[in-house]
Amino acid sequence: MSEKRNILDHKRRLLANKYELRRKLYKAFSKDSDLPYEMRDKHRYKLSMLPRNSAFSRVRNRCISTGRPRSVVQLFRISRIVFRGLASRGPLMGIKKSSW
Amino acid sequence: MSLKSLLTAAALQGVAEARARIFGHVLNPTGKRSPHKILRKKLIGDKVAQWYPYDIKNDDPLVLAREEKQRLAKLEMLKRRGKGAPKKGQGKRAFSDAGIVAH
Repeated sequence: MSEKRNILDHKRRLLANKYELRRKLYKAFSKDSDLPYEMRDKHRYKLSMLPRNSAFSRVRNRCISTGRPRSVVQLFRISRIVFRGLASRGPLMGIKKSSW
Repeated sequence: MSLKSLLTAAALQGVAEARARIFGHVLNPTGKRSPHKILRKKLIGDKVAQWYPYDIKNDDPLVLAREEKQRLAKLEMLKRRGKGAPKKGQGKRAFSDAGIVAH
C-alpha cells in the first residue's frame, strides 16, 4: 500500500513540476489589479482548469522507504522510525545517538 | 518649518528609491495588491520532483521479469485455493444489500 501511495505522490510531484510556471503566471495575472476585469477573470478560469493534482498543496512529503506520511525527517526523507534505526546503526553521516 | 519637512520627505523618498534600486526591491508605498509577491518566489518544481530517488531496479529487465513471474505465481496459487479475485460483478457487493444502499 505504501508503495502505491508513493507512486501516486510521485506522479503528483511530476505534474506539479510540469505546470508550475503556468500556474504561477495565471495566479499572478488573476491577482494583478492593474489588468482589466475580463482578463483577470479569464486567467482565474484558466487557473481553475489546470489539473487538480498539479497543485503543490496536493504533494505530501512521504518516507521514501516505508511511505509513512507523517513525522518524516526532511533532511533524509525518511520517517522517524526508519531514521532511528539507521541512526543507531550508523550509516547516516554525522548523526550520532547521545545521552546525558 | 514646512520647507524643512518638505525637504526631509523628498530626501527620504530619494533614499527609499535608491535603496530599492540597489537591492532590487519593488516599491509599493500604497500597499496595493500586486502580482509581484507571487512572481518573485523561486521555482521549486524541480526540487519537489526529486523527492523520491530513482530505483535502479527498473533498469534491469531480468529483475522485473522475475517479479512479474512471482506475482503471477502467487495469483495462480490463490486461485487454486479458491481465494482469487472474483470476476467483475460477482463480488461480495453484488449479492448484498450494502452495494445497493451505498449508491
